Amino acid sequence: MISKIKEALICLRAPRVTFRYPLEPMPAPARFRGRPTIDGAKCIGCGACAAVCPPRLIDIHGEGTTRTVELNFSRCTYCARCQEVCPVGAMQCTTDFETATNDRANYSVKVELAAVACQSCGTPFITQRMQQKLMAEFQPAWMQQRNELPEWLSLCQSCRVEKTGMTMGRNIKNG
Amino acid sequence: MTTAQVTMTTAPETLTKAQKILQGIQEKFGVALISAENPRPDRLFLKVRREEIRPITDYVFNTLKGRMVMSIGTDKTPVDGHYEVSYLYALDAEGIALNLKELVPENDPVVPSVAGIVTYANWNEREVYDLLGVKAEGHPDPRRLVLADDWPDDVFPLRKSVPYNFKPPVRDVKPPMRELTEREKKSTIVNVGPFFPTLEEAASFRLFVEGERIIGADYRGFFAHRGIEKLTDNVLDYNQIPFMAERICGICGFVHSACYCMAVEHAAEAEVPPRAQYIRAVMMELERIHSHLLWLGLAAHYLGFDTVLMQSWRIREPIMWLVEAITGNRKTYGLNLPGGVRRDFTNEHCDKILEVIAKIEKEAGELVAAAAEDHTLKMRLVDVGRLTPEDARLLCCVGPTARASGVNIDARKDFPYCAFPDLKFKPAVQHTNDIWGRLLVRAEETFTSIDLVRQMLARLPEGEIMAPVGNIPPWREGVGVAEAPRGECVHYVETGHDNRPYRWRVRAATYPQLQAVPYMLEGMHVADFPIIVGSIDPCFSCTERLITVDRGNANKLRIYEKKDLLAMSRRRTQELR
Amino acid sequence: MRSVLVGIFNLLFALAAAPLLDGILRQVKARLHSRRGPSIFQTYLDLGKLMVKDDQAGANNTIFSLTPIVCFASVLLAALFIPMGGVVPLGFAGDTLVLMYILTMGPLCVCLGGMASGSPYAYVGVSREIMTLMVVEPVMVMSLIASAVKAHSLMLVDCIRQPLGAGPSLSFIICGVAFFLALQPEVAKVPFDQAEAEQEIMEGPLVEYSGRKLAMLKWSFYSKQIVLITLFTEWFLPWPALESLPLRMACTVLKVLVVAALVEVIAQVFPRLKINQSMRYFVSVNAFALSGLMLAVIGL
Ligand code: SF4
Ligand code: SF4
Repeated sequence: MISKIKEALICLRAPRVTFRYPLEPMPAPARFRGRPTIDGAKCIGCGACAAVCPPRLIDIHGEGTTRTVELNFSRCTYCARCQEVCPVGAMQCTTDFETATNDRANYSVKVELAAVACQSCGTPFITQRMQQKLMAEFQPAWMQQRNELPEWLSLCQSCRVEKTGMTMGRNIKNG
Repeated sequence: MTTAQVTMTTAPETLTKAQKILQGIQEKFGVALISAENPRPDRLFLKVRREEIRPITDYVFNTLKGRMVMSIGTDKTPVDGHYEVSYLYALDAEGIALNLKELVPENDPVVPSVAGIVTYANWNEREVYDLLGVKAEGHPDPRRLVLADDWPDDVFPLRKSVPYNFKPPVRDVKPPMRELTEREKKSTIVNVGPFFPTLEEAASFRLFVEGERIIGADYRGFFAHRGIEKLTDNVLDYNQIPFMAERICGICGFVHSACYCMAVEHAAEAEVPPRAQYIRAVMMELERIHSHLLWLGLAAHYLGFDTVLMQSWRIREPIMWLVEAITGNRKTYGLNLPGGVRRDFTNEHCDKILEVIAKIEKEAGELVAAAAEDHTLKMRLVDVGRLTPEDARLLCCVGPTARASGVNIDARKDFPYCAFPDLKFKPAVQHTNDIWGRLLVRAEETFTSIDLVRQMLARLPEGEIMAPVGNIPPWREGVGVAEAPRGECVHYVETGHDNRPYRWRVRAATYPQLQAVPYMLEGMHVADFPIIVGSIDPCFSCTERLITVDRGNANKLRIYEKKDLLAMSRRRTQELR
Repeated sequence: MRSVLVGIFNLLFALAAAPLLDGILRQVKARLHSRRGPSIFQTYLDLGKLMVKDDQAGANNTIFSLTPIVCFASVLLAALFIPMGGVVPLGFAGDTLVLMYILTMGPLCVCLGGMASGSPYAYVGVSREIMTLMVVEPVMVMSLIASAVKAHSLMLVDCIRQPLGAGPSLSFIICGVAFFLALQPEVAKVPFDQAEAEQEIMEGPLVEYSGRKLAMLKWSFYSKQIVLITLFTEWFLPWPALESLPLRMACTVLKVLVVAALVEVIAQVFPRLKINQSMRYFVSVNAFALSGLMLAVIGL
């Protein structure tokens, strides 16, 4: 009997703790990992996010001279790995958690980026921004001032391999 | 990896525990032992001849007092033409994980069954057959366990030749029944599940009932088997698995991802920064606190005592807010990666943790004190769902279920991981063998965890929280062991090529516990059923492991319309009548 | 004239106010749960929702479809018998006995319907319900009869007036307590709601009901709750004896609220007992009520 009264007292001492949630807003804490978005102004199309995403929701594909980074977060695990690896901070997990929608298209984020063509074979192979970023990171300052593209940044992978092969072959021939 | 060289000339006192055990096995079974590896003092990986597995099992289980943890079936046929079937044992007293591996030639996929020696091997061997097609010769009940009833008989999904997204056609096959005793044949059968209000997940129990008394039970589960282990074949890589592992369980996910990471780190022989170790341990203990409070509420709910449900969940809620603020999510913390954790504690976080656990200690203390004196609660729990220590050992039960039956095992003590080697605590043990004991054990553990968190925060090391693991060489084995709220959680990883494991095996605590449920049900009332099943704190999805959605085949999904479902359920009710 | 008006009031009270009482009890429960809880009109919405939902036709037989209606009707009939503010709408000699019969009809209907549904859960529920009826009904009958013995009449009016004049006797108090203990299982609240135990047998006899039939059954349960509690307050708590009828009626409504809240609080601080445990408990309550009856017979 005493334990019953104790239980009732525990109940009565505690205030009503539930929220009127959908009727009043519930902000999430700062570190919250919510709906991911891509900042189109920053993204360079490097593909790092696509490589780490556990459910593989990020796709990078291209047609002609555009490269599209497409994120479909309907099956997102909200792990924020994409945010962690993005080199330019374009990928951000917001604090928004109210993602219910009637239209699947709302789960999709697309960023279209211009691609540059290979100077040798003409196929677009890298986004313009990526090229610039690589320039800025890996080229010495004097080269950047001359605004000249080094060879390794202007060729697509297969052309580069071919070229290196040829150079190597020549070098071998020449001793 | 070092191969332990045990020679008779070494003086016995200089041998480590593992070497002594190895020596004992060598002396007894000399030729049966093919090779032995002892990569860490607390791990012993043996390869044995399959003909000798029964005597060795007998020795390990009965003489060394080993506890079987799980079976691991691996398809190595593309590598060396063998299937590998292993039994992992925990030698709790010595703190050593001992693995017995049998090599099974591809053209003769049979191993001798050891279920006669270790009752718990029953499910393990059935699982190996279902998934890998290696048959256990002499198994007492070789029914299908894991796979769906309509899965083809000759497709074994864990074989590397089966693609991960293989989808067999839907067939109409009845679930297999176990053989009934004469008495059971005469009794009424009450079907509970697959969908039942108090089983939050799909599971089906067939209760054999006389009046209100249960005289026997049969279990069919794995309806939510989701083939997560198969995903390591060619879908997920080392760094992606933690996020899937976390989703194995809906409540104690963090311990799964931590356990997986530990297995990888062991295999890679990687060092994890001490601060990361502590952060992991703190999160695991916070998880235990909220899980136990959740259980207390659920148990009360099974008894129709919703006030305790609401109050204990109210007390629990601050932890959820707390971890959300620290990690970014209230349940899937997403902290673990092989090599460390991704987010650090700030000083404010530490203060906040202390504040929250102090509040919980006070409030949960009051609630537990009131509940412990509650006469009516005792009426429902004392002497209900009994599990004797002998059965608990034969079924290799773990966690609070085992500890309430007087089996003093706790992975935090026996296999100290993360921060636990530095901490002082006593595992909660009760000898009542019933649900009341399980309640007391969990109540005590809640407060132990609060104390452990305090100890850890008081000595939280400074420094890095992540040390990337780098390239992981193939064919190394690692076992991660951690004490989840429900009991010991074990992950096994064998490394492979392409930055992903060759084999990943998960054993959650509910796996042995569920096998004990029919023992607990015997002689009880129908009314006791929910609380008995609830008393092991079951997590069916843990036992059955995660789902995969195959995007490519989305259009092949069979969609049941309302009228189909209705017709199906009517048909089912007709059958029951 | 007065009794006609009271009769109409009773009907409305049992019919229209019953879901409101349930809504208020939900708030009581929510307070104990530290929740906000739904609005007190939620039960109306729930019933309305069930009314417009499809009937899944869990079973196709006449008994199954008829029982909700009979159950509902029996409760309304009972409402016409119970006193309100000391006035009995349908008073005649021996109405006490009739009332007891009518009150048993509801649960029996539920049992019949449950049996007719054919679900194994319903069978378990029905067997539990019958066991409960067997031990709880005698308690109610004995407590009521005790007053009849003292009033030397089987008419409700006489029975409820008797303690007003003579003051509460020992047997009256004992029977009142016994009746209160029997209220809990009669209105199907924890710890004695084994027959409907959602966690064990999924509302037992109700498991196959849906849509309008389920709404009818639920509504009749709410009505029965209000009818029984009114009976209890009128019979065992007739004080204060106010002059004007409307005041007395208002007083009764207030008392019903308090008693119902008490019943709900008890339901919230107990776990559900097992059927054998509650049987054992009610055997002692029976003995208790019997002692009350005996005392009444010897005039105490
Ligand atoms: S948060 Fe995780 S799952 Fe979601 S898009 Fe980013 S990487 Fe993928
Ligand atoms: S979002 Fe970031 S990581 Fe992803 S492609 Fe753009 S720049 Fe790379």
